[in-house]
Amino acid sequence: MLSYTIRRLMILVPMLIIISFFIYGGLELMPGDAVSYMINPEAAAELSPEKLDALRDSLGLNDPFIVRYAIWFKGVLKGDFGYSLSSGVPIRDIVFDRLPATLELSFIALILSSLFGSLLGFLSAIRKGSIADHSLTVIGMIGVSIPQFFFGLVAILIFALKLHWLPVGGRLMPEYVTYWDRFPHLVMPSLVLAATMTAGVMRYSRSSMLDSLNKDYIKTARSKGLPEWRVNLVHGFRVALTPVVVLVGFRLPTLIGGAVVIEQIFQWPGIGNEFITAVRGQNFPLVMMIALFSVTAVLIASFLVDLLTAVLDPRVKLS
Amino acid sequence: MGKIRTSLLSILMIFLAFGLWAGGQQASEPASDRQIEGLNSNPLSDYRVRQAIAYAIDMDTIAETLLEGKALAANSMVPNGPWKAEGLNSYSYDPEKAKSLLKEAGWVSSYTLDVVYYYGDQLTVDIMTAVQAYLGAVGIKMDFRKLEGDLGEQLWTNPSDPVNGPSYVKWDMAYAGSAALAMHEYYGKLPTNGPGNSHTPGNPAIDKLVAATKATANIVEQQKAFFALEEYVNEYLPLIPLYYQQLFIYESDRVNRNGGAYGNAQYNYDWGILDWTVEADSNGKHVLYTNTAPVEFFEHPWFNPGLNMANKVLFDRLIVADESLMAKEGQLASSFKVSDDSMEIEFTLADGAKWHDGSAITGDDIKWSIEYALKVPAIHSVFATTFKSIEGADAFVSGSADSISGIEVKGSKVKVTFATLDPNMLLTFSQFPPLPKKYFENSDPLQFQQNSFWQRPVGSGPFQIKTVEMNDYTVAVPFESYYGGTAKIDEIVMYPSGENDTNVIKNASAGKLDYGFTKSVADVKALEAMDNMRVIPVDIPYTRLFYVNKFPKP
Amino acid sequence: MNDIKKKKTRLDRSFDKIRAREEAGLLKQSKMNRQLRKILNNRLAVGGFVIFSLILLASIFAPLICQYDPLAIDLKAVLQAPSADHILGTDRVGRDVFARIVYGGRISILVGLGSALGAALVGVSLGCYAGYKGGLIDGLFLRLSEIFMAFPQIILVLLLVSILGQSLINLIVIFIITGWGPMYRMTRARMLSLREEEYVQALKAFGLGTATITYKHILPNALGPVMVNITLSTAMFILQEAALSFLGLGVPLNIATWGNILNAAQELRILQESWWMWLPVGIVISLFVLSVNFIGDGLRDSTDPSQQG
Repeated sequence: MLSYTIRRLMILVPMLIIISFFIYGGLELMPGDAVSYMINPEAAAELSPEKLDALRDSLGLNDPFIVRYAIWFKGVLKGDFGYSLSSGVPIRDIVFDRLPATLELSFIALILSSLFGSLLGFLSAIRKGSIADHSLTVIGMIGVSIPQFFFGLVAILIFALKLHWLPVGGRLMPEYVTYWDRFPHLVMPSLVLAATMTAGVMRYSRSSMLDSLNKDYIKTARSKGLPEWRVNLVHGFRVALTPVVVLVGFRLPTLIGGAVVIEQIFQWPGIGNEFITAVRGQNFPLVMMIALFSVTAVLIASFLVDLLTAVLDPRVKLS
Repeated sequence: MGKIRTSLLSILMIFLAFGLWAGGQQASEPASDRQIEGLNSNPLSDYRVRQAIAYAIDMDTIAETLLEGKALAANSMVPNGPWKAEGLNSYSYDPEKAKSLLKEAGWVSSYTLDVVYYYGDQLTVDIMTAVQAYLGAVGIKMDFRKLEGDLGEQLWTNPSDPVNGPSYVKWDMAYAGSAALAMHEYYGKLPTNGPGNSHTPGNPAIDKLVAATKATANIVEQQKAFFALEEYVNEYLPLIPLYYQQLFIYESDRVNRNGGAYGNAQYNYDWGILDWTVEADSNGKHVLYTNTAPVEFFEHPWFNPGLNMANKVLFDRLIVADESLMAKEGQLASSFKVSDDSMEIEFTLADGAKWHDGSAITGDDIKWSIEYALKVPAIHSVFATTFKSIEGADAFVSGSADSISGIEVKGSKVKVTFATLDPNMLLTFSQFPPLPKKYFENSDPLQFQQNSFWQRPVGSGPFQIKTVEMNDYTVAVPFESYYGGTAKIDEIVMYPSGENDTNVIKNASAGKLDYGFTKSVADVKALEAMDNMRVIPVDIPYTRLFYVNKFPKP
Repeated sequence: MNDIKKKKTRLDRSFDKIRAREEAGLLKQSKMNRQLRKILNNRLAVGGFVIFSLILLASIFAPLICQYDPLAIDLKAVLQAPSADHILGTDRVGRDVFARIVYGGRISILVGLGSALGAALVGVSLGCYAGYKGGLIDGLFLRLSEIFMAFPQIILVLLLVSILGQSLINLIVIFIITGWGPMYRMTRARMLSLREEEYVQALKAFGLGTATITYKHILPNALGPVMVNITLSTAMFILQEAALSFLGLGVPLNIATWGNILNAAQELRILQESWWMWLPVGIVISLFVLSVNFIGDGLRDSTDPSQQG
């Protein structure tokens, strides 16, 4: 186990270096640069190209690609993630500023969706073929088939604009001291996110539960005369949970950068929102760090998931 | 996919056939060609083609439908009012005239116009779609595309030969907006090798007309010069004006300006913010909710001096303007004196004017601000022109002088002497906010916007920053030592939604938006439908147009 | 030998019945493929297939069922509610919404299906070859796919969109770039087990070339999961196209796609007052994706021998 852990972590490093080089090179191919987004095109005509060039120089945008990559890389090695080109704020501050917003959204959505999803999937698997199973399957399927932003917009239309139950968006307001104060703001985005994820988890846990109910050891357990609920719960569910854990484990890091659409609809100031702004403004250092950050999260999570799978499912051997 | 292509193709074929019919009827060589000024290999260099385009587009209908009747078809860059020449041709919708002009000009129907734009909204695409259909109906094919990347470069790069071309830019027409603070900005791109003239071949006639508008500070003379220029542009259409955009200020019924004026909200004017009142909320607090809070940083006010709420209320200017942006009276300067020849201005700083950190605002701050601004990469072009006209500015910029000799500070008096006349000097000083020098010492002016000052600026205006949660909200409260008195509103809360995004309507219908302005006609319609909001339309100098590339293309 | 007395279970009884029928000659050899039969037994999959075909056919034969050109504007009739003239009303420039949805389907389905097929083509052909050959190529592509799969999908798509720029072709290319990884790994995994099969060894012994063995003889046996993956990717790409349109980074706005049409709902006034501009297209996207998902599910059930339906 230990050697496996070390080996996996060893692969992580070159992988991240290659990925960082890929992204950096890719960004290089974008037309324009950060400076071209700092100035409104209607006014850009009046500015002297020399001054813009001087600005590019001072931001280091005129250096050759390899030189810039090397500088950036050296910085990262020293723990200096650079500065946002547009605001001059250290990127570490930006990430740490945005991360809590994203995490609270993701965690709530993740917990709700795993809980409901695996439970419903489990129920629908042991009642396979029943009306409940069929309707859950169809509902779950509908859940993954509706575009997320469409769902979110309709939710805003109904719950914020028509019924006035919940705020339209945003996260913090002045004088929101306690967590409870901002809770109403969290409800809609996290529920919409959770709803779309629940369907996925449900489908997954249903099929993995079915899968495990088909397994020989379940038949063995059943033939030993164990009560049905015990067979289902202890033997079936525990093993069936493994792939669900895998799914959930993969979801969290994806959510760190991946809740872009939800964050946009609900004006949620998270990492995803920041990423969109950075990409649109060609804020290279920020794009780099957010992309790398989310990739690292995914890689580490997939590693942890592997470890966890081994713990949960005795049949899995790490190699 | 195949089907859509065939149907597209068939439409194109119809247009093509139509164009052949329209184009084929003309004589192979129009006799008048030799007299057309500046004619070159680019068909758009023929002014009759440009006129035909203007006739072919039914701008009135577009204004009425797509723009919801919230815009006015334009016949000049200059908006209606005292600066507009009389008797201009409106190029009202006349497809027959367009066709005959095209015929006269020998338009080749196989030519496809390449039209570019850079706005990302649906309305722009809709307008382009409409224009495409209108031009198609007279036999002009057109494609449109959104520019990506370095827009400034792709739109405004001057050709290396400013008279004969070929152009550096690749487009035929560029859909753009021109928001002018000073009338001179409208035509700034037209002169030979003018800044951003990527499209109009050098032409002494235009140069002369434009120069005349800058030659005098006398309003009547200036107007006359503008009329002549407008008439020329109206006749030859080096650019094709499309419509005048209005600005819409919206306020909730909780707000009362108590007599404060309404004007061009994109800039600064005396709007009586100190007297504004807002109904108290359940806690008895008078809070004004608005938008345009910073997302990453406070946008510095030397480029867009009054676009964001923060820039309006955090900073004062030397002079305050009235609602039509004419200099009204002193602000940071309790008084100012302009010499008869407009070559000198002397400010007397207000007693007790303080920065929000409590330190006094000095003449040094003013002088430093002007000097520093000249080194900042992006400042408003009107500011830049004014500052460059100051005596000794050249030497300062080139580095041969440490300071601008034309700015003298004596106690609370600041005297600025100009080397060349700048008709917009008062405009500059009514929009340009001086900044506290001490926060910028030893900082790189090139990275002005990246300075940490803009995470929490220290200003001179009636409100100061209380809390900044970047991307969440910003709170401003009255500055108690403000030299002009204390504002009646307890707090201004700003959300980070932009001027034209969907959140405006969401927040307004949720009752969380008390003041703002927008140029989006769709938002206006929605706001007007709300019981708790009122919308005040304001005429602003903002003209949408097609820049037409008349150089031979590369 | 004595008969062992045994209580007959329900299963025994049903087998007895089957045997009786068989002996009576009633049990006919089905002419249909077993997998097809299983799909047909799955009512959801059949329903999905019907909806899928309806929408697909409507898009293909768009000119026959639409009386309006989806690009023809009519500024005299903007934002009209559904009527006999325009059964789904008109949009902001007076284009017929029904025609736009039908024609938009062409592009959206092209993006979804095209990208999924493209990703499958790349992923499967690489996976087949590399999985069979192994060695350096395999390792290389495996690492490469790991790199692509390490990104949260939307982050990678956004990065690529801003690098390559917005256009229809670019979007398909981007979806292929982001989608080939899973296909590759799946095919490869299947290949690794199939290549040890005896019939493959036999083919090898006959001296058949690698390409022939892999693509002609092994690949057909690995196609089941690939088909499932193609359908599910189609659904995913269609949803992603819509999401990208929402973020303003999808297919250029002048091309009608379902995502671009639905995008109108972003404007609150349209959302509140002009339901015909977003609700029908929202339903069509959801229905289409739903039907594709049902088909995918049906395919999965029918190709997975462990799940008897």
